[in-house]
Amino acid sequence: MIPQFLISSVRKSPRFIIIIHWPATLLILALGLVFGACSSQPDPNTIRMGVAQAPTNLDPRYATDATSARINRLLYSRLVDFEQDATPVPSLATWVQQSPTHYVFTLRDHVPEFHNGQGVTSQDIKATYESILSPHNASPHRGVLHIIDRMETPSDTEISFYLKRTDPFFPSYLVIGILPANLIANRHPFSDHPIGNGPFRFLDRPDETRVRLVRQTDGQLVEFLRIPDPTVRVLKLLAGEIQLLQNDLPPELVAYLANQPTLHLQQSRGANFAYLGFNHQDPLTGNILVRQAIAHAINREDIIRYVFQNRARQAQALFPPDHWAGPVQLTGYPYDPDRARTLLAEAGFGISHRPTLIYKTSTDPFRLRLATIIQDQLSRVGIDVVIQSHDWGTFYGDIKTGRFQMYSLAWVGVKTPDIFRYAFHSQSIPPTGANRGRFASPIADHLIEQAEVSTNRTEQRTLYHDLQVHFLETLPYIPLWFEDHICFSSTEITGYRLESDGNFDGLLQVQRNTSTTHVASIRSPAI
Amino acid sequence: MTMRLWFPASIVILWGGLALVSPLLPLNPHAIDLANILTPPGATTWLGYDDLGRSIADRLATGAQTSFIVALAVVFLGVTLGGLLGATSGYLSGWVDHIFVRIVDILLAFPGLLLAIALAAALGPGIENVIVALSLTGWVGYARLARAQVLSLKQADHVVAARAIGTSTWRILTRHLLPLLTAPLIVEASFGIAGAIIAEAGLSFLGLGVQPPEASWGSMIRDGTRYMLVAPHLVIIPGMTLMLVVLAANLLGDWLRDWLDIKDQVGKR
Repeated sequence: MIPQFLISSVRKSPRFIIIIHWPATLLILALGLVFGACSSQPDPNTIRMGVAQAPTNLDPRYATDATSARINRLLYSRLVDFEQDATPVPSLATWVQQSPTHYVFTLRDHVPEFHNGQGVTSQDIKATYESILSPHNASPHRGVLHIIDRMETPSDTEISFYLKRTDPFFPSYLVIGILPANLIANRHPFSDHPIGNGPFRFLDRPDETRVRLVRQTDGQLVEFLRIPDPTVRVLKLLAGEIQLLQNDLPPELVAYLANQPTLHLQQSRGANFAYLGFNHQDPLTGNILVRQAIAHAINREDIIRYVFQNRARQAQALFPPDHWAGPVQLTGYPYDPDRARTLLAEAGFGISHRPTLIYKTSTDPFRLRLATIIQDQLSRVGIDVVIQSHDWGTFYGDIKTGRFQMYSLAWVGVKTPDIFRYAFHSQSIPPTGANRGRFASPIADHLIEQAEVSTNRTEQRTLYHDLQVHFLETLPYIPLWFEDHICFSSTEITGYRLESDGNFDGLLQVQRNTSTTHVASIRSPAI
Repeated sequence: MTMRLWFPASIVILWGGLALVSPLLPLNPHAIDLANILTPPGATTWLGYDDLGRSIADRLATGAQTSFIVALAVVFLGVTLGGLLGATSGYLSGWVDHIFVRIVDILLAFPGLLLAIALAAALGPGIENVIVALSLTGWVGYARLARAQVLSLKQADHVVAARAIGTSTWRILTRHLLPLLTAPLIVEASFGIAGAIIAEAGLSFLGLGVQPPEASWGSMIRDGTRYMLVAPHLVIIPGMTLMLVVLAANLLGDWLRDWLDIKDQVGKR
């Protein structure tokens, strides 16, 4: 019942006419939206996956973002792949190391043809890598492969790689999809019309938000839908508009979806290394006592328990313990605010002289949330933090050019220990490498160089263990955590398996249950 | 005094009181308690906690202070600037009035909030810049009202008499015209308060208002939208508060207009 005084006010004021009518207006709008939405029913035979970002480049020579890399894995095949512990294994070809700088790769039998019907030969492999190495093409992968001196193709099934210097991890670098040589020569637009020999072929890209692929074995249609907002992605999964959702969800929504009886949750331990980076040339963050104080001030255990809801694990080093080069039983910096205050006092700071740090991060709401928590925890031990959040381009540009005191970021998809030279060697200052904090340690340089020339896996493992112990003492980064991989699938599909590195290879086996409609699957638990 | 006055008045007094008293209260709007993340309202948790485990009650009180400061400052600047310019233009007439009316028409033709968003974006985020942006777009309504009033009042006998005995323009404006403009401007200002509250919340929702970790009702709603499925109280509580205060400000403005309307008063007698 509406109070009389409200009614009298409303009647007297013309401005409230709109208030009287707005529920009706909203109702009409809502009905319009509902009927509008009903007019385009999704194809019941297609399997749809919601992704936060659309692939930016379907040409594997130029793709760098995670979504592109994962979809390109489906469209193209590569020479080498990885085991669960990141050990390289043959994919399209087997290899033999003839000398420290000479590798011979031989195509396996029954290699699938390209999607245009051409067979795969060593010429295609050579053309692909030559195209990447050409300075005119400006491929972002050229830096890693620059070690290749020349290639020779003695036969259609054999290719020799000659290196400029020895590198025991060389086969691990040959993970880029192979393209047909003649199409490379004709400058075919692979990004718009990908042609590879992967288990899926490209169908079309109706608009910027959708990419459609067809599975080669049975013609199953798979569609990737870009849905930036996580809540909308979740609602679309619940409404049956998509059947798969993998990662990029706030932990609270993961917990919410985990309680939905119509969805199936898969979870696996991730290896994407989240860390706090520092500028080592800055007087404040270049001080090891300050970095150690920060490490002791961050309560990673609580953040993982309450924010990640235990869907992450603490990191002590860049590689997790289950990686072959990952250190085991490292004890890092436990949460100890008193120790942090003592270290700050040793560094010359106190209540009357609090250090102030600028902490750069992206505008991603979840990253900003984590930054705010870290800001609060550092404030409690006497470090004032000013958060500066920028759009990704500005933020990443600042990090690459060293314009920061402290920042948070993650290394994604790192499989091989060549990352240590790339990110920590004193000669890897950008643009040569990714030593963005200008970290310089003769001990680290020596260990990296020793491990690189070693051909014995056990010795390499020991050297990398020592290196990561050294990093824990000198703190070029503060290791934070490895976030778990999460996947939700609806009961409309079966057979999807979440891979340990979060790729989409599970789509090779997934099947759509055509016998059950979404409505039935949603209602069944209530019946 | 009727319920028609007391309902909005009590809400507005509560809002203003909270804004004035909140600096003296032991509030901790920025204190993060991870164990309380997204805790819903309850007997021991008051209005619940947000995505960082911060008390929503404390942040609501701090947000009241933000909206109160912005609303009062914007309305004060708007009334002062608009009232003076409008009254002067109306009194002087001629080419000054012509130019003034064209400027006002141009500004009125432009969507106010859109202009405020553009200004806030150009000036940069922050409560001071929100006040500047909203004042620069909000004075026009007061100016038009003041001008219209002065156009009719300047023919009044006491103004003609003042002019006849050689009273200066400034004195006529301040002593004979502005006092008579006060009543309609106050009514307009009461509606302006509601508009300023909404506009501040809108700018903060878009990230152009107060910056984290400071609290604003608009930014609380924006932060809460990400958790609508799991913690709707993050949106409902600041949303309802905003709605109630705006409704109360509008109802109070209506009451004030009726109370100051001499025809209405005569009719009642």
